[in-house]
Amino acid sequence: MNELNLESFETDFWKDVARRKTWDGIIPGELRETRPVTLTKELIAKFAAGVGEDNPLYFDEEYAKKTIWGGIIAPPSIHILLMFACTTTEDWMRSPGTINAGQSWFYNVPARPGDTIHMRGTALDRFIRKGRLFVIHDNVFTNQRGEVVCTGRGWTIRPE
Amino acid sequence: MDPAQQRFDAIEVGTVIPGRPFTVTTETIQAFGDASLDYNPLHFDPEWMEKASFGKTSFGGVIMHGMQNFALITRTLTDWLVPRGGYHRRLETRWLKPTKLGHTITPSARVSAKHRTAGGYWLQFDVEVRNQDGELVATGDALAEIVERVPGAAPGQ
Repeated sequence: MNELNLESFETDFWKDVARRKTWDGIIPGELRETRPVTLTKELIAKFAAGVGEDNPLYFDEEYAKKTIWGGIIAPPSIHILLMFACTTTEDWMRSPGTINAGQSWFYNVPARPGDTIHMRGTALDRFIRKGRLFVIHDNVFTNQRGEVVCTGRGWTIRPE
Repeated sequence: MDPAQQRFDAIEVGTVIPGRPFTVTTETIQAFGDASLDYNPLHFDPEWMEKASFGKTSFGGVIMHGMQNFALITRTLTDWLVPRGGYHRRLETRWLKPTKLGHTITPSARVSAKHRTAGGYWLQFDVEVRNQDGELVATGDALAEIVERVPGAAPGQ
């Protein structure tokens, strides 16, 4: 199992800041260090509640069973959590001042309780526009059967 | 006619899907941080945000997570799609303005087009998020599929 230990999650994003890559050192195509995370019903329910997702499809098994989903699923936006749950304290997505400029995500199969999700993350590109340093990150999340759950890209403005 | 096609045919281009207003407080930011594990000081450290400058931009205080906006747009779409057998397939967003403490944002979506492919029944959406002053804070577009069966393995397999 790869259950997430929320008690030990490092919430101080200044920690390891010196070990993180800045814009100059981020190499498009290079893999970010990641680890798999198992989604439990509790983790899915906590995520849903915290981001404002109150559809019973995400926490009520009796309701979910009667839908075309056939059981509880994670909200599609679960990648918001996985982006931090699957990466390390040295990952540059945690750099204080990282500004989110835009995102695009495609959803393939739903993530369900008990699924173990693997992340493959890279930078796709970096550039300078209007005096700002941009990095595009590119990600694929798969489940324990190797099925793609979702793929997504984000445009970030990097701290100087 | 298969049931997915019936549901697809019942949807009209131009239908507007109003989202629920959302007011940003330190509690909503904390809840989003605890749910997403995104503890960037952009959202949690008012003193740092008073001083910090980002190129030409200074926010003068903490800002809401951009992905909170993303999650609220997703909720707006799926609240409408789930009862219609609609499967959320894609969302692309651009953030235009930061959302700060005390701001109230409201997402909305509009069915912009319907498209029948060899393999499916697709709905396209324009999405936007406005703040309490009517200013656009985010725009984007989305794609959903009216399905008979959700892709992937059934639960417990």
